[in-house]
Amino acid sequence: MSVSAGRARAGAVLSEIGFARPFALGVIMVVALALQSTILTRATILGVTPQLLFVAVVCLAFLEGDTVGVVVGFSGGLLQDFLLPESIVGLTALLYTFIGYSVGTIRYYTSTEAVWTPVLTVALASAIAEGGYALLSILMGENWVSLADTAKIGGLVVLYNTLLTPFVFPLIRGIADRVRPERVIKL
Amino acid sequence: MHRRKGRGRLLLLVFIALSILIITVDFRGTSGPLESVKDFSQAVISPVQRGLSTVTRPIGNFFSSIGELADLRNENDELSAEVESLRAEVDQARDLTAENVELREHLELDEPWFAQDRVAAQVIADAPGNFRWAVIIDKGKADGIRTDMAVVNPDGLVGKIVHVDSHQATVLLLIDPKGGAAAAVGDGEVTGLVSGNGGGEDLSLEFVAKEEELEEGDRVVTSSFNQGIYPPGIPIGLISSIGGDVRAAELEVGVNPFVDFGDLNIMSVLLETGASAVRLGEAE
Repeated sequence: MSVSAGRARAGAVLSEIGFARPFALGVIMVVALALQSTILTRATILGVTPQLLFVAVVCLAFLEGDTVGVVVGFSGGLLQDFLLPESIVGLTALLYTFIGYSVGTIRYYTSTEAVWTPVLTVALASAIAEGGYALLSILMGENWVSLADTAKIGGLVVLYNTLLTPFVFPLIRGIADRVRPERVIKL
Repeated sequence: MHRRKGRGRLLLLVFIALSILIITVDFRGTSGPLESVKDFSQAVISPVQRGLSTVTRPIGNFFSSIGELADLRNENDELSAEVESLRAEVDQARDLTAENVELREHLELDEPWFAQDRVAAQVIADAPGNFRWAVIIDKGKADGIRTDMAVVNPDGLVGKIVHVDSHQATVLLLIDPKGGAAAAVGDGEVTGLVSGNGGGEDLSLEFVAKEEELEEGDRVVTSSFNQGIYPPGIPIGLISSIGGDVRAAELEVGVNPFVDFGDLNIMSVLLETGASAVRLGEAE
């Protein structure tokens, strides 16, 4: 009781500052992308790295709704685009914006309490993101790997993202709960 | 509830329009304003990347060393013997290199790639996507690195520089579908273009006419043929497969690269290569 009251008070103090929430969301995305491009490239499944930033975007959209989903999807996607050399800038941003909105919308129709819901959401969203990115890149005339390799890599990304979710989701929920403005009633 | 949903939908439309605008700007190549935002975001994230890779590299090495302890003693004996024999060869090679450089100067040929100025760099991060094969290294403009410079390691050609910041640079690996190099087989009679097929796959040697006589195990090196950006002679790999449709005019040749692209750490950037070097050469 006293712990949760303390947390609520800390959250209230932070939300009064106004910058805490955007700052926390920004830090989550920068750290996720840095981890994804350094440590996680050495913990691959058959050479495939998980898309930790994407998992974070889906978790945030799931917890905070469509508005936050759109904003973190766009900014996180654009950040990833900027770090991907020789790729179409804006493509990841477009896909992540769309997915952030969709996940933020469908969460009104699901129960946040069920453990498997965010895991399943990440799995489905990852499949759409990987497939969509490959399809749009090919349509826009990018040099691309073979379809068999695309399917293999995409499938492994979906698997790895899904496996990470049970660890990432509680962590992000913990941070999001602390910086959520008080006036928003948690559903 | 309805008001909130409406706001989300409006934001969705705004950001989708913004994404499409950015894609268009990038596609048209007029990416001046984009470049500065890009540099800014890389400046924000690179300290975090550097920190993470500095902290975790010893841990990774420690874990891999534990598994190898048993083999280490044997390997040590073998290596000591090898060092003795190599030492003699190195002296010989040094003389030969000096002689080669001198003779080339007399013949007014370009300096060979192994005698060129280079800067050693360490990998600090990988590209964040799984469909792009690139690494970020810890040297940049301040160390003389420019775009299109060739990057090598002791095994052979690694790739080329595609983006430079003041203290870091991005290397597009040879195995990327957008990576490529003009190449020659063996003594240079057969030339073609090597292109990447992604991680774990062999490279393809393209534009080789069916009449050409190639064998599996032939050595493929870079070529300056057709204004290639790489200096000639950098090892690429060995031919691993030769095939192709009977009706096709060209062979389908697979090349197994010398460089282990799954385990890159230290590499060298050849400072006298790239577009600026070509322009300088033309000016002379």
